[in-house]
Amino acid sequence: MKRLRIVWSILLLAAVLLSACAPAAAPVAAISLKDGLGREVKLDKPAQKIVSLSPSNTEILFALGAGAQVIGRDDLSDTPAEAKKLPSVGGNMGKYNFEEIAKLKPDLVLATGINTPEQVKALENLNVTTFYLENPKDLDGLFKNLETVGALTGRTAEAKKLNESLAKRVKSVQDTLAKAASKPKVFYELDATNPAKPWTAGPGSFIDKMITLAGGQNAAGGLKSEWAEISQEELIIQNPDVILLGDAAYGVSPEQVASRPGWSAIKAVKEKRVLAFDDNLVSRPGPRLVDGYEALAKAIHPELFK
Amino acid sequence: MRWIAAHPALVNILLLVLALLASVAVGSVLIPPLAIFDVLRLRLGGASLPPNLEPYAAILFSLRLPRTILAALTGAALAGSGAGYQGLFRNPLADPYLLGVASGAGLGAVVVMSLRLPYGWFSLLAVPLAAFLSAAATVFVVYLLARSGRTLPTTNLILAGVAVSSFAGALTSFLMLYSTGELRRALVWLLGGAASSGWEPVLGMLPYVSLGLGILLTRGHALNVLQFGDEQAQQLGIPVEMVRGVVIAAVSLATAAAVAFSGVIGFVGLIVPHLVRLVWGSDYRRLLPISCLLGASFLLFADILARIALAPQELPVGIVTALAGAPFFLWLLRRTRAQQAW
Repeated sequence: MKRLRIVWSILLLAAVLLSACAPAAAPVAAISLKDGLGREVKLDKPAQKIVSLSPSNTEILFALGAGAQVIGRDDLSDTPAEAKKLPSVGGNMGKYNFEEIAKLKPDLVLATGINTPEQVKALENLNVTTFYLENPKDLDGLFKNLETVGALTGRTAEAKKLNESLAKRVKSVQDTLAKAASKPKVFYELDATNPAKPWTAGPGSFIDKMITLAGGQNAAGGLKSEWAEISQEELIIQNPDVILLGDAAYGVSPEQVASRPGWSAIKAVKEKRVLAFDDNLVSRPGPRLVDGYEALAKAIHPELFK
Repeated sequence: MRWIAAHPALVNILLLVLALLASVAVGSVLIPPLAIFDVLRLRLGGASLPPNLEPYAAILFSLRLPRTILAALTGAALAGSGAGYQGLFRNPLADPYLLGVASGAGLGAVVVMSLRLPYGWFSLLAVPLAAFLSAAATVFVVYLLARSGRTLPTTNLILAGVAVSSFAGALTSFLMLYSTGELRRALVWLLGGAASSGWEPVLGMLPYVSLGLGILLTRGHALNVLQFGDEQAQQLGIPVEMVRGVVIAAVSLATAAAVAFSGVIGFVGLIVPHLVRLVWGSDYRRLLPISCLLGASFLLFADILARIALAPQELPVGIVTALAGAPFFLWLLRRTRAQQAW
């Protein structure tokens, strides 16, 4: 026992000594994090000139109060309004303007799931520090991402505060949902250009998980892939209680759905529970996912949120 | 116009030099010519750059120069290959993708993407490598299917090419939909090739394009004789089946490398040889090299337009080649309709 204590003290002493001389031995990067591609990303100090390559990243940065540290954004970043004033570096159809990025001389490019490994490599070739923020697989993943971006931007405290308030809102929805008596079947429509086989979110997709978490069950849960076309016949058999129009932004309306041939047989259409839904709230993996979660819960269980 | 028609080599070399210079000088970011000069002078002199020039140096050496060389090589490979196939199949609609190179490459790329290899040099190299191998393998399958005994009828080749292309294309779509998660990467690749910067793509492509085009350029005479028909060419001492095999191999090598690194770019391989034919005649000894030169310039100019038309946004270059190239080609076609060019 005594020997153990001596070993302990030596180890402790060594640790203290090591940590004392470490900064002198080699300047350690202040921030060192593993990104979604398994790359070790190092920053000497929190990033002050950031280029965001996706709408979700832009929303995360602004939500953490790091908006003033952002100097460029992709074409699709439209929220918040201040972000639109920043110079764009492309991104439409997956094509980024690397010349523009090089000119901006960012100290950090924040990439994400919509970016390809080839694009990350292209940025590495330009000697631009790039962090690939993996798409979250659930709300916990979102909180972790917020923490990560907080660490990269020197907004650790803000990230902690934001996460606490988001977690509180999630908890409140979950408490309310605990009283739910049923699990309504939900069909989430992504694109119904061909109403005989609309695109939807299959099992394992983020939307699928959110529907389950919001106290519903995905009518497309039996499909084979995350993004798939469901046949209208299957949809009629599934007979969803609620239809959410993620394609409402493209002009699809509940009236239009009711007028589609054969759709009047579906319960949601009969009971007028076809609702426009802001797809950005569930397709952009940023802090507004919690808004999306609340909106989903209200749409699926309106009786609990009066 | 007469002077242009009389000096095909000189005109096309000048045009290519102009295109190369313009491609380095022009981009979505405006670099003052003096700054380009300064960067080149300091870099070549081994001196370090002042901070205000650093982004320009990165843009020039990591983006524009490699992109310029890549576009030139790709244009040359596609146009030269197109000319070769049009001669080989005696068909004005033949393009370098006729025997399935493009769909084969797409399939190879998407298969590797669906494996979700961990990020690193290997996974980045694997995509163009698989695209290249799969493109070459696809053409080989077409070749085997089309062979009838010891002959290789062109009709069989074209039909087998169409069938195998469709099959590979369908497999690609299926994989994209059902190997979840990599859909976007595959779409980005299929729409415009890999986002490339740095010199790796150029180095990867150079040997195959040089070898393929080099072999192709030596077959000008044989292709000339082949225009009389297989039988007559055979009687005139041309080993028809062998020429066919060699040209297909050469074209596949060059095109597969081009597609693997630059993606599928339409129109260049189809139209550039016709442009050359309209202006400079259809002697394949001239048509092949001039097509390579003009193809390079054509794709460079198209790429410049793609960069500046909607800057800072970039257009897929395939849109530009067709949008700008088709009207020009039709204009030229009407002008010279009196002569029978094909």
